[in-house]
Amino acid sequence: MAEVVSVMTESPAGGRARAARTVLGQVVLPGEELLLPEQEDEGGPGSAGERPLRLNAEARSQVRVVCGPGLRRCGDRLLVTKCGRLRHKEPGSGGGVYWVDSQQKRYVPVKGDHVIGIVTAKSGDIFKVDVGGSEPASLSYLAFEGATKRNRPNVQVGDLIYGQFVVANKDMEPEMVCIDSCGRANGMGVIGQDGLLFKVTLGLIRKLLAPDCEIIQEVGKLYPLEIVFGMNGRVWVKAKTIQQTLILANILEACEHMTADQRKQIFSRLAES
Amino acid sequence: MAGLELLSDQGYRVDGRRAGELRKIQARMGVFAQADGSAYIEQGNTKALAVVYGPHEIRGSRARALPDRALVNCQYSSATFSTGERKRRPHGDRKSCEMGLQLRQTFEAAILTQLHPRSQIDIYVQVLQADGGTYAACVNAATLAVLDAGIPMRDFVCACSAGFVDGTALADLSHVEEAAGGPQLALALLPASGQIALLEMDSRLHEDHLDQVLEAAAQAARDVHTLLDRVVRQHVREATISLGD
Repeated sequence: MAEVVSVMTESPAGGRARAARTVLGQVVLPGEELLLPEQEDEGGPGSAGERPLRLNAEARSQVRVVCGPGLRRCGDRLLVTKCGRLRHKEPGSGGGVYWVDSQQKRYVPVKGDHVIGIVTAKSGDIFKVDVGGSEPASLSYLAFEGATKRNRPNVQVGDLIYGQFVVANKDMEPEMVCIDSCGRANGMGVIGQDGLLFKVTLGLIRKLLAPDCEIIQEVGKLYPLEIVFGMNGRVWVKAKTIQQTLILANILEACEHMTADQRKQIFSRLAES
Repeated sequence: MAGLELLSDQGYRVDGRRAGELRKIQARMGVFAQADGSAYIEQGNTKALAVVYGPHEIRGSRARALPDRALVNCQYSSATFSTGERKRRPHGDRKSCEMGLQLRQTFEAAILTQLHPRSQIDIYVQVLQADGGTYAACVNAATLAVLDAGIPMRDFVCACSAGFVDGTALADLSHVEEAAGGPQLALALLPASGQIALLEMDSRLHEDHLDQVLEAAAQAARDVHTLLDRVVRQHVREATISLGD
């Protein structure tokens, strides 16, 4: 049987543009347009008479607002292109960054991100590394700490590499390196033997890498472990025995769907046994 | 079926709906864990499942890669048990290819393909039960799946079918109304801007009635948008609650 379509109270914004400030923290959908703070002052024709007369013509401050992931410029407004919650960050100067916090499984390479890649091929002087994006990244054999033309790094096909992107845009093949700008490894390079690599969503990685994440502290109290997080959704974990490694992998994968209370219950149960 | 009137004197259709009423729509996002994006939609008795992978490397020949855009690859398939009589449909048959091509045209208009050059986005749609309006259900399911995958789009794509009986335009046709042989069209709309992504009709309709039927389809598509909007907001709220912010 059919049901009459009811118009819900939270009607879609449609062609009506809303101020970005009022929508912070709320769900936004593709097709919505957002107004930046300085554009709200320019009201309709009726408000022209109420605005104070400006004697100084350059009084309007020019603030630079950065459009983050999920937003595109459309004329002088912001067009939302992904569904998620709208977030804002206030830096020291300028208008701040707006972005959409969305849930995603597929990684798109971004310059400066630290990722875990799998070596798929060695061709001449470069390695081809699969990072989960739309193209394999290239890694030069000289981009390791202490590597010279005579002293080649010991990297085989199938090894895990932890590195960062130096070139990552939509027009070029991504390039990664395993040294930082001073030439030191800083934790990057080939990831050692054993351990387990598994995939989680990108949102969970960002949450685990946040400065005050309780999950990592609680996990660290359970067993001694080594863990590497890649921004492409890959996590490598290694504990003393295989069983402990599997337990940790299952906990981290399940963290996405559990509330804080359920997590605490599971941790206390594991700590007892 | 002589004597089956599609629109009664009091204005009721065969299943009791009014002329402009939609069937009941239920939808869910994130049905599969393995795919990048997935969605399931039920429009009355029509059930469709959509799965999205991408943007990933071009599979097959590298020569098909477009230097400035992503390649959108759509495949449509309908299950053997989807219609009243069990029919074996080979994959490459004409109706599947045509539907795949129409879906591709629809989604190339909405997905921001310039952001992912030289890559490929796959959209697979499967119809599990066909009771009229299969193109519309496929488009609505695929929109939700693309949103679930986080692929940037300029707007939703909402679709609905419409027909014309006794001087009145009907929205969202069921199988009985489609099989009666009257004029019918399918419309895919980008609701925020009101732009048409695809309009398809292969029956005969007098041009004086076109505006009326088009307006009925557009209004129905906007109603579908209202419902899908609610589904997506609910899904995003649930996903962010478990992530703790």
